[in-house]
Amino acid sequence: MEEQEILTTLKILIIGESGVGKSSLLLRFTEDTFDPEQAATIGVDFKVKTLTVDGNKTKLAIWDTAGQERFRTLTPSYYRGAQGVILVYDVCSKQSFNKLDAWLNELETFSTKHDMVKMLVGNKIDRPNHEVTKDEGLKFARKHHMLFIEASAKTNDGVQCAFEELVEKIIQTPGLWETSGKNLTLGSKGGEPGAGQGCYCVV
Amino acid sequence: MSSMEGGDRDKKLVSPKNSSNVDDEADVFEITDFTTASVWECFIARLEEILHEWKLVNHEPCEPALKDQYASGTWAERTEEVVFVDFRFHFSYLYLKGNDEVAPKSTNSKREDVEESDDDHKTPTVFFDLMNLENDFPMRAHYLCRWYGLQEFFTLMPVSEKQYIDSESRAKLLLSSSSIALANCNCSIPVFIQLHQKWRKLFTGTCLVPGASIEFEMSHLRKFPPQFCHLAGLLDVFKSKLGCVYISMPPVSVSVRFTYILKDWFHSAWPQMPPDFSSISDGEVGYGDLDFLPFGACTDPISELHLSCTWPCLSEDMIVENSLYSDLDPLQAPQWNVKLQMTDDPQCLLGEFLKDFLKLCDRIESTDEVLKKVLVDTDGDKHSAEITHALQKLTEPVPALSSLPSLGNVVSSASSRIKFKPNEAPIPDILMDRILQYLFPDAKIPRSQSGLKSPSSKSARKESNVSLTSGSLTSSVSEHTIDEDKKAETEKISDILTDLSKQLKSAPVDSLTHRLSLALCNVNHNFGGLLGVAHLWQEFILEMRFRWENKHLICSIEKGTPNMGSCLLHQKLQMLNCCIECKIKRESAGYGYGPDSQNIHNQLPDVIDASSPKAMKRLSKAASSLGYSDDDDEEEEFFECDDDEAGPETKVDDATNVKDDDSVKGRAKNGPDEAENALSSDSSSLSCKSDVNDKRKELKNSSRNSSMSSSIFHDSLSHRPEGRMVPMKNVYLLNSGEQLYIPITQEPSPMTEDMLEEQAEVLAKLGTSAEGSQIRARMQSACLVSDMESFKAANPGCILEDFVRWYSPRDYVVEGETNLDNENDLDGESLEADQKGPNVFKRGHLSQRMQIPGNMWVEAWQSARAVPARRQKRLFDDTKEAEKVLHYLASMKPAEVVLHLMPCVVHAAVAKLVEEAAQASVPNLKNIVEPLIARVAKVTRNFPFDKKKYSELLRLIEIAEVFTARTVSLRSKFTSDHLTFPEQEGKETEIENFVTALLNQGEVLVKGGACGPAGAIIHKMFIASQRANNMILDDEDNEEDSISGKPNQDSKKSSMQTLQASSEIRSSSSCSDFPAASTREYILRAMVPRPAPYSKVLPQRMYCILADGESRLAGAFISDTTFQ
Repeated sequence: MEEQEILTTLKILIIGESGVGKSSLLLRFTEDTFDPEQAATIGVDFKVKTLTVDGNKTKLAIWDTAGQERFRTLTPSYYRGAQGVILVYDVCSKQSFNKLDAWLNELETFSTKHDMVKMLVGNKIDRPNHEVTKDEGLKFARKHHMLFIEASAKTNDGVQCAFEELVEKIIQTPGLWETSGKNLTLGSKGGEPGAGQGCYCVV
Repeated sequence: MSSMEGGDRDKKLVSPKNSSNVDDEADVFEITDFTTASVWECFIARLEEILHEWKLVNHEPCEPALKDQYASGTWAERTEEVVFVDFRFHFSYLYLKGNDEVAPKSTNSKREDVEESDDDHKTPTVFFDLMNLENDFPMRAHYLCRWYGLQEFFTLMPVSEKQYIDSESRAKLLLSSSSIALANCNCSIPVFIQLHQKWRKLFTGTCLVPGASIEFEMSHLRKFPPQFCHLAGLLDVFKSKLGCVYISMPPVSVSVRFTYILKDWFHSAWPQMPPDFSSISDGEVGYGDLDFLPFGACTDPISELHLSCTWPCLSEDMIVENSLYSDLDPLQAPQWNVKLQMTDDPQCLLGEFLKDFLKLCDRIESTDEVLKKVLVDTDGDKHSAEITHALQKLTEPVPALSSLPSLGNVVSSASSRIKFKPNEAPIPDILMDRILQYLFPDAKIPRSQSGLKSPSSKSARKESNVSLTSGSLTSSVSEHTIDEDKKAETEKISDILTDLSKQLKSAPVDSLTHRLSLALCNVNHNFGGLLGVAHLWQEFILEMRFRWENKHLICSIEKGTPNMGSCLLHQKLQMLNCCIECKIKRESAGYGYGPDSQNIHNQLPDVIDASSPKAMKRLSKAASSLGYSDDDDEEEEFFECDDDEAGPETKVDDATNVKDDDSVKGRAKNGPDEAENALSSDSSSLSCKSDVNDKRKELKNSSRNSSMSSSIFHDSLSHRPEGRMVPMKNVYLLNSGEQLYIPITQEPSPMTEDMLEEQAEVLAKLGTSAEGSQIRARMQSACLVSDMESFKAANPGCILEDFVRWYSPRDYVVEGETNLDNENDLDGESLEADQKGPNVFKRGHLSQRMQIPGNMWVEAWQSARAVPARRQKRLFDDTKEAEKVLHYLASMKPAEVVLHLMPCVVHAAVAKLVEEAAQASVPNLKNIVEPLIARVAKVTRNFPFDKKKYSELLRLIEIAEVFTARTVSLRSKFTSDHLTFPEQEGKETEIENFVTALLNQGEVLVKGGACGPAGAIIHKMFIASQRANNMILDDEDNEEDSISGKPNQDSKKSSMQTLQASSEIRSSSSCSDFPAASTREYILRAMVPRPAPYSKVLPQRMYCILADGESRLAGAFISDTTFQ
């Protein structure tokens, strides 16, 4: 099982307002570190990580984007072909939450796969003074058929889980991805049972 | 043979050849030796093995089949290969599936009727089957099933076509072998052995049931002797075969089916007319024809109608049919069935048209290679004598015109058009003009040499063109309205079509790409195939280059960045349009990225005008075929990128008068104060917001000199603001307190999807290391730096904080408003200035991440100079990109062009199909079209294009086309005017349902037989056909009377009277309504004791088919094996 063939390569996007912690989430996921001095992303950045979900080894090509308004003329061109997207907001910033609709719109306009899996992540839950409650996040996710989780890149809460859920959901969506090999393992869940739909609008 | 030696052998202990082995005397185990078993035994063993495998040992009898179950149920087949010596056979088991669900009650009672003896044993399936009246003449079934009425049987057929069993002894050997096997397994399923050649379908068979054995016999002849060709003769055969001598023989039950074929559709000739393509070259019809897609089948897709009249279960006493007289009148038949014989693979116009086009994908020649055969040799003089020897010229090697399309090659010919040998141009000039007019309706491109000899003739030509255009315009308008009506008529079609446009990755309908695809299709089909396509493509490339060089926007290509939802070729054209637009902006009358340039979309279309001087110039240029020399300023292809911002450049960024600008220039040298004044006037003309300016002035005095940041832009006071777009509301520079202006920035580079992929690949290749990220950021920072430079130019005295407040507001933290945790808080509200007036200005600071020393933003800020967007290095190099596109186009082989245009072609074809099918009101249109669209959508989204997948698509389109043609044909046959009867009003739906059923099912029951509405129509069709065939020219009135008279009676009176009426017609027309039956089938059944009068009474059955060139008797005769 160690030398398992890679089932497929998935393209994942991370989008959201500037400064909500997109790059930090990515850094936490790929290198399990946190850098308080993470520089503001210019354009798009790119990271790769392999992840085994349900016994299926997948290679993730994760595209991290700059959140600044001005870069939005540039970054959406990288939305093409993404199978999954992580939409991030800052739980301490109502404004970053209010902009989610605009981000979804943009996604709708520029993504090529209409059945792409979307996940909403409320970041920075380690901080006090939340402006966005978990309930609001849940409601938004339910309204837009998204997965939802609250996370903190700093304390490593929910980051791994977020990516794993997203990938699992993509693998479960037929026609969304194309296999590079032939050995899809079905049903042999590594995690706890029921985790598959667990995050879909849990209240 | 090897397969015989498996473990299965051990089961067969009944084998005669077992003797203990000599070597193992002491062994307690009994050894069974089959080493000397004969091939015959092996064969039997193998059959038994298969029967075990199929679990048919001790096979329980099945229930009798339900009505029509043979046709409607599912049949299954299992096949194994068996070998007899060197003879290989397929041993197959065919059976009706799902017979288990038969309700046991009803069958029990039935069984009691049939079962007269032998209560211990269940009646074998075969007995039921032979006597089962419910499944005579099934609509579709295996022929053995049709002949013998069996629901399960084995067949043993030679594998090879060449080997067959032609001797009786071999047949008997096989029969007895299989009998042994079946008896060993207690399996009472009939087995059939194929004799003679396969096509004869000649079988002999047997079946063993407890207490009886069945012989299946068959005779197959081209033609039976005439004395047997009717019911009476066949009854004689049957009775003599039964050998029944005793007098009280029960009457034979008879089922009869006669089939009549209608071949001549006398009253409804196939309406499809082959399209007349010659009209295009006539010059009479407008260019609207070029987007014409032919549709429909050339020949009638329905060739024959088979009417089967069935008389089920008659007693032999009731009917008489002999050589002189027949009771079997089709009009009296209780059951009518109709089947359509479709034309095999009718030639379909659309399918052929598209396939022709796709075929070009197999050609490997490049455009130049195709065209050089007919191009004029550049060093023509020495060959001029040979021009007359055209053939020779075509075959001899041509002096090399570079086969690879190099840039220079294309450029030089761009303005000189392609020169062809006289009369050898694949597309004649007139036609080419028309095509180009169709493609580029905004420009007139007369190319004919004749039209250019004198100015007067030129203008005359132009006039004729104009009239042509207007004519075609009106026609297209009227077409359009008709189109609109149709759409209004059926909302559904338009829904489907919009859906189509959304789902397919092609190009918008009516875009240049779309038109080009249709034009190339038409050219390929009608004018010179590959050569014509290459010619038009070459002209197209030249036109593209011409438009680029002369700054004419490409018409019918939507503006803006390439739409990734369209096909690549369309994106390329959009890209070229972007380049042209950019070039126009750059070069048009000194306007740079001024305020006006924002409205460039609205203004530019005026530039291109059919009658504009440029077009005229172009016209003359084309005429004289001169080299490319134009006094337009195309050559300027670079931006100035001046270093000294202090010295204002001569170019002015907006439309303010030069005088004002001069004054600015003059004052700039005198000192900052005066410069400020000049600034104010300048900016007021820009923004026209004097109140803001007032505020700004106040602020300026208070805060100007207080420098708070170390990153003061030192040149701030020495340059004049440039490239301002709009002031940012209520935001003021931190140092100077002046209004912050959002600068005019360079727009991001438009990209086609292949460029994007390339770039993404480059970025991804940098890897995931920190260095990689750094390089990636640097690569993408060009846009950031450019924006910074524009910002600096627009806001003299600005600092990075100012820039961040505009560019990334969340990275500017306002003090006092920040949260408790203010070390690296990023969510300071950007609109802090909203709440505070300019006087209560609060300071803030950059977010922590922006303060990291050496971070990319600071670095970029320091390196950025104050340069307005219009003087910056271009982020988007339109010249380079345009050349790339043009090169891409020029290097495409015709085959590639075809593939690239396939999405558009398929799009148009499906749209056409939907329209036509809707017009023909094809039943279940949605069910046909939706899967097709889904498939097409999938294929068009794939890249690279796959020819195979497109040919599959074309096949699907063709199938739908054939289906549509069938619908049209059938409906016209059943609804043509002469067939409408007064009493059929209100029965349209029934006829409609009948037509639909005919299209979707194999054989359809005619409701009400001859008396039903559909039956009446069919009857009339036969009458018409008979009359035509017998050349009966009744006087018209008479016929009218009889025909119109009949239905009236029909509607009111009983069927008996109808029959009288029809016989009246018959007598008056002196020929029968129906032709001689093409096929006559009989099934004779009786319960008779065999072989001796004291034997058990057992079912006997004989099937007979008499058709043209084939007559067959198939008898199943059961004899009692106990009382012989």
